[in-house]
This record gives sequence, C-alpha cells and structure tokens, in this order.
Amino acid sequence: MGRGIIAEELTKVYSSQRRQGWFRTVREEKRAVDGLSLSVPPGRVTGLLGLNGAGKTTTIKMLSTLLLPTAGRAEVDGLDLVRDANAIRRKVNMIAGGERMVYWRLTGRENLWYFAQLYDVEPRGLKERIDSLLRSVGLADAADKPVEQYSKGMKQRLQIVRGLINDPTYIFMDEPTLGLDVPVARELRQTVRRLTAEEGKGVLLTSHYLAEVEELCAYIYVVNGGRLEAQGSPADLKRLTRRDRQVKVLLAELPAAVNTALDAVAAESGARIERQPVPEGVLVTVRHQSDLSGRVAGAVALAGASILKLEALEPTLEEAILALADVGKPEVISRAG
Amino acid sequence: MPVRLVAWWRPWRRVMAAEVLKQHRILFGTRFIYFSLLVWPGVNLATAYYGFKPFLGAAGLAQRWPSVSDPRTLFLFFTTGMLGYTFFWSLVQAAWQFSWERFHGTLELVFLSPASRMALVLANGAGALVQSTWLFLAFACGLTALVGGLNLAHPGMLVVAFVGLLVPAVAWGAFLNSLFIFSRDSGFLYTILDEPMALLSGVRIPPQALPALARAAGMAFPLSTSLIVLRGALLEARTLSDLWPRLLFLLALSAVLVGLAAMLLRWGEAHAKRSGSLTLF
Repeated sequence: MGRGIIAEELTKVYSSQRRQGWFRTVREEKRAVDGLSLSVPPGRVTGLLGLNGAGKTTTIKMLSTLLLPTAGRAEVDGLDLVRDANAIRRKVNMIAGGERMVYWRLTGRENLWYFAQLYDVEPRGLKERIDSLLRSVGLADAADKPVEQYSKGMKQRLQIVRGLINDPTYIFMDEPTLGLDVPVARELRQTVRRLTAEEGKGVLLTSHYLAEVEELCAYIYVVNGGRLEAQGSPADLKRLTRRDRQVKVLLAELPAAVNTALDAVAAESGARIERQPVPEGVLVTVRHQSDLSGRVAGAVALAGASILKLEALEPTLEEAILALADVGKPEVISRAG
Repeated sequence: MPVRLVAWWRPWRRVMAAEVLKQHRILFGTRFIYFSLLVWPGVNLATAYYGFKPFLGAAGLAQRWPSVSDPRTLFLFFTTGMLGYTFFWSLVQAAWQFSWERFHGTLELVFLSPASRMALVLANGAGALVQSTWLFLAFACGLTALVGGLNLAHPGMLVVAFVGLLVPAVAWGAFLNSLFIFSRDSGFLYTILDEPMALLSGVRIPPQALPALARAAGMAFPLSTSLIVLRGALLEARTLSDLWPRLLFLLALSAVLVGLAAMLLRWGEAHAKRSGSLTLF
C-alpha cells in the first residue's frame, strides 16, 4: 500500500445548460481539470499554484472526495478515491480561507466539539484536545464566546483548528491565509511547518501569496487552464523560466573607465545593462540568466570606482508562475511532460 | 452482536447529539421561535376558533361534524390541529434553514466528514423538532388543562398520541432535509407545504369536509393521519385497538419517507459530486 496521495490523469469536466431564448437550452462543458497527475507525500508541504480558474480548488475537492473525477484515478495511502471515499474522509480535512465554514451561533469550543462528533473522534481526551487546539491558535480566552462575536482573524483561526480536529494525515489548504493579518499568517505558516515536520502530515497548499508558497513548499505543481504546466522545487521552477537575475550597483558617479568596463562585461556575457540617474548617483542594472555580481563588482572596482551598494536579485517565484501561466510566452523553456 | 450494535450506534448517537446542540444554539429562545412557532400558530388558532364560533349552533352541523357540538370541543379540535401543524411546519422551516448551509460553506464540511448522511438528516429534523415545538407544546398543554374536556380512554393513550405525532414528523423532517439540501430550487416547497398542507391535512377543518380527491391527496401528508390519531386518542376516547390501522399506516408512511430520504440522499450526493453543486461559491 503506497503512502501519500497519488493522482493520475485526474480530469473534471463540468457540464451545464445555458438558456438561449425562452425554450432552447444549450449544453455546455467546461474542462476544469485536464489530465492532472500529482503526488502529495506525508511530511511535506506540496504547493498547487495557478491563476484564478486554473483548477486548483476543483483538484482539492476531488482529492477530498467532495467531487467525483470525470476521468483518471487517485488514491490516498492506497485507498481508492471513489471506492473507499468514506475511509479517505477519516484521513483528510480541508482548511479554506475566509470567515465562513464555521457555525456563527455556536461558540468556538462548540464548533470543534460538533465536528469532533461528526468524525467520531475518540471521546476520551477530546476536551483536552479541543482546549489544546484552541490554545494553539490563541483562542483559549474566547473559547466560550459565540463565533459571531469573533473578529475575522479569530474566525479564520478557528477554521484552521477545525481542520485539525480529526487529526488528519493529509490536509488540503485552500488559500488558508486569505485576509489574515501578518502576525497571524506567520503563526499559521509556523503551524504548517510543525504539522509536516513534527507530525508527518502531508499538506497540499494553494495560495495567492507566492512568498508563502516559496517559504513552505518543498515541491510545487503549477496548473493553468486545468493542465499541469510545470512542477518542481521553487528553485527548479525559477530556473524553468528564462527570467534574468539582476545585479544592481549603486555608484556615486559613472566615470568613462567604469562605463567601458561594464560594456566589456556585457559584450563577453551577453548581459543587458541599464544606467539610471538617481539622487544618490547612478544605478546600474545588469540583467543576465546567471549571477554576474562577482564579475560586475570586480570590473567596477578595477576601473577605480567605489560601490555604494550592490544587490543581486533572483527572479521571484511570482515571476516564474506568471511566465508559466502565460501560455506561449517564449521565455518559458521547459514544461511538465 | 451487542458489541456490533454499539459500534454501529455510537457514531449515530454522536451525530444526533451534535445536531441537537447545533439546533439548540440556532433556535432556542430566538424571536423566530416566538413569532413563527408560537405567536403565529396562536393567532391562527384564535382566528380559526372565533371564525367558527358563530356557526356552532347551526342546524345539522353537529351531525356532520361532532367536534363542533360545543365551544370546548371545537377549541380542542383547533388546538390539536395547530399543535400537529406546528410539529410538521417546524420541520419544513428547519429543512429550509439546513439548505442555507450550502451558502455558508458548512454543508460542504459536513459532507466532507464520514458522518452517516441519514443520521444527519434524521438528527437535524429531530433536533429542530425538539427545539422548535416545546414552546407551543407547553402552550397547547396549558390551554388544554385550562379549558379541560380531554376524553381519554386510558392515560397511556397520551403516549400513543405523542408517538403518532413524533415518529412521522421525524421521518417527514428527514425526507424534507434530503429534498432541500441538494436542490437550489426547492424553495417553492416552502410555499406549497404551508397552507395546502394545513388545508389537506385537516388542521382547521375536518378532512371529511373535503372532496374525495383532496382527501386522497391529503393522505400523502403524514400530518393528516397524525391528526386523526391525535384527536382520536385525546378527544374521542379511542383505544389502541381502534387506532392501530391508522398507526400502522403512519408507520408504513414513515418507512416510505425514510426510504425516499435515503434514496434522495444517495442520488443527491452523487449528483452534487458530479456537478459540484454542493457549494455555491
């Protein structure tokens, strides 16, 4: 029996009817996910990225048994997604961003107790478990207040621990930090890291905050229009796009000798150079796929200029995702096969 | 065998407890309960009573409708009618409210859990019933004690009357829940099940006053037979042996409703999983 979530050629086609005039309807099909294969191992955060409408939420709903795939198959720890749906439900849970998905008339404690009953969580020690979960997200003092009195952040924190009530092996996190303030989002990231590293849980994360994905995910799948565009570690994905690294050098002035030295670096390496006057002096930006910071610094120093500031900037994951999502963009050199 | 039974029953019991708590928090002491399930049926009761009262002495009326032989029996006829109606109507409202959980995202989470779907709809109905009807039940009992005129063959018939109301109501609730939660367009039932159910079930007029076709249609509502049992046991001194065919019919109708609920749940969930209609966001 294989460990982890393994999906092969997962496809979801939504079919709907659109009214045309009074009596005529036209059947329409939308392929939300198209032959997606991925795996979510335990003990690791796996990212699922893409622009809006890429098929991320549909994928999560299929893997959590809420949606039936139109084609393809998936298993969770060897259990078949369709045949063993009820056994899978005991192993998974979902955390989505936003204030919904908890009962506002119930207290925080009652919400957790309610869902614990639905999951038939072992009654022995349940009270302590609920207390500990509430404490872990700073809701111990508000445990017995109705949720309608909670702030947005508190509701979302409650949502997070609700997703942990059945001690799931795999957690689907769909935009979990949406709208959270910075300290709470940071706490959530710490919690996610702890859950994977210490408790061995597998997490499938979708988020629009790419810095968060970059920080948490060991492996990322990029989907666009329901299809897998690329996969790999954040570093792999950044390499997949021919986005340039940048070396930014701030100089007090730009003597002719430095200019010549920089032109020589550009001629040898094929780098592009921009010179821009700024209040402090001149900002020189050198763009190239490889890191030229050493060569640029050396050339400037040999030409006798003093460097006020030097920055070497990697392409961000955000740039890589945008490039990957932009079908047909020439700088995308490698896609998932 | 008992161990297996306990293992099977435990998750059901826990789902029931969870739903009862939820219904308690949502309904208990709310204005909704006071107005929709106490004041409104109370006003209806008064309207029906004072609307009929002037005709009490009409020639030949008592022969066709023995309950109107005196003001007290007429009042008890309407009280039992409104009590039964409150039971069944509260379940229509509970099912309608349950369907709103789709918009709040909680229905999706409930269906993400391994909880028995049948336990959920039964528990939701039963929980709502207890939370919604205790007030009017107390009101009706108080009124009856005040007015007097109960005609019981045996005190045990109180239990028979209550069970004859409760069991079909829970089955009715399960059926409605399974109907409402998977359909975006079932809101029209809210209207259909209000006044037509009251009319066809004989809440304010005796079923024998209706045309045969309407009487036959009324039999589809368990409330019709529940009211016959309730009034027979409380007002007409009927015994268990008098009422057993009706009770048997109620039992069969309840079984059919639960069976339909199971079918609808299976079909509805399968459809929602294909179409993605479990949530509306």
